[in-house]
Amino acid sequence: MLKMILIGAVAVPTIAAGSVAATGVVVVDVREARNGQHIVVPVPLALAQVAAAFVPEEKMHMRLPREAQQYMPVAKQVLAALAEAEDGELVRVEEHNEKVSIRKEGDLLKIQVDDNGEHVKVQVPISLALSVLPESGNQFSASQAVWALQHARLTEIVNVQGRDGEQVSVTVY
Amino acid sequence: MRVKTLGLAGLAALMLAGTAATARAQGPKAWLHVRVEEANRQSKVSVNLPVSVVEAALQAAPEDILSHGHIHLGKMGKRDLSVSDLRKAWNEMKATGDAEFATVEDEDETVRVARAGNVMLVHVDKPSGKESVRVEIPIEVVDALFSGQGEELNLRAGFAELQKRRGDIVRVKDNDSTVRIWIDEGN
Repeated sequence: MLKMILIGAVAVPTIAAGSVAATGVVVVDVREARNGQHIVVPVPLALAQVAAAFVPEEKMHMRLPREAQQYMPVAKQVLAALAEAEDGELVRVEEHNEKVSIRKEGDLLKIQVDDNGEHVKVQVPISLALSVLPESGNQFSASQAVWALQHARLTEIVNVQGRDGEQVSVTVY
Repeated sequence: MRVKTLGLAGLAALMLAGTAATARAQGPKAWLHVRVEEANRQSKVSVNLPVSVVEAALQAAPEDILSHGHIHLGKMGKRDLSVSDLRKAWNEMKATGDAEFATVEDEDETVRVARAGNVMLVHVDKPSGKESVRVEIPIEVVDALFSGQGEELNLRAGFAELQKRRGDIVRVKDNDSTVRIWIDEGN
């Protein structure tokens, strides 16, 4: 009997950890510079999807403005062509104390902004962007966006470093 | 056995030849580059786009901007700008071969429109020598643009021709800024 309880005690967390690892985890990491606080919030993607399922349908969709709807097919075509294109720096803007760079590296679009000591890095998998953009219609689904994060596994999608040394990062594992 | 070996060798040769032909047909990938530099703002903007991406954007452009790959020119300002008239004028100009089509010289600037070989040149120069515009468009691009019907410019066909060009398309220089647009095979 004790053996069964022990097996259960090991198996349940192992299966739970395995399921979370298989479906993905979003980790939000916040480091405060002043008081040295370090907050790590892991959110299993499966949990976010389950939560999304309970949100009323009308709240889960974001209505796109008419202008945006019109350019949605263009955005999809451009992203698809970009996915097939060679890697390289697509945009670089350099001004006094400000630098913006957008690079394509494999499936990733890497956006880097350095502004007066503040640094922002965003990495968006092109496959994620493609799966989030609606095929047709005027609605953008938040649950679809959560599901699309599966494309960003093992990617630090956002990293912000403030002037005062505070740092926020969002990574999908 | 010999026939089978020869058959396999022949098939392999055909497959290799096919791959080589595809590789040649694809060729090096072209990139469209735009550089804008403003000295007084210490600003440099650089945009590099694979030509395939620009083409995809043109293919998917909304119908009210591009109708089946064509762009409509209507009234521009107070005057009517007729594409069919421009097309007629272009056909006349094209037939004359290398020539200087227009030279306008006044106090402020000199404008020169000419054909040199397969390229249409538009040069604008200010007397100070500090400001100038250079536009070089291959003849085939203008031809393709005018391949639309009636009052339409065929933008997609124009761009399809433009991507064959390697080198400068537009260069603008003024007192404190420069703009350069060109196509090459590097990113």
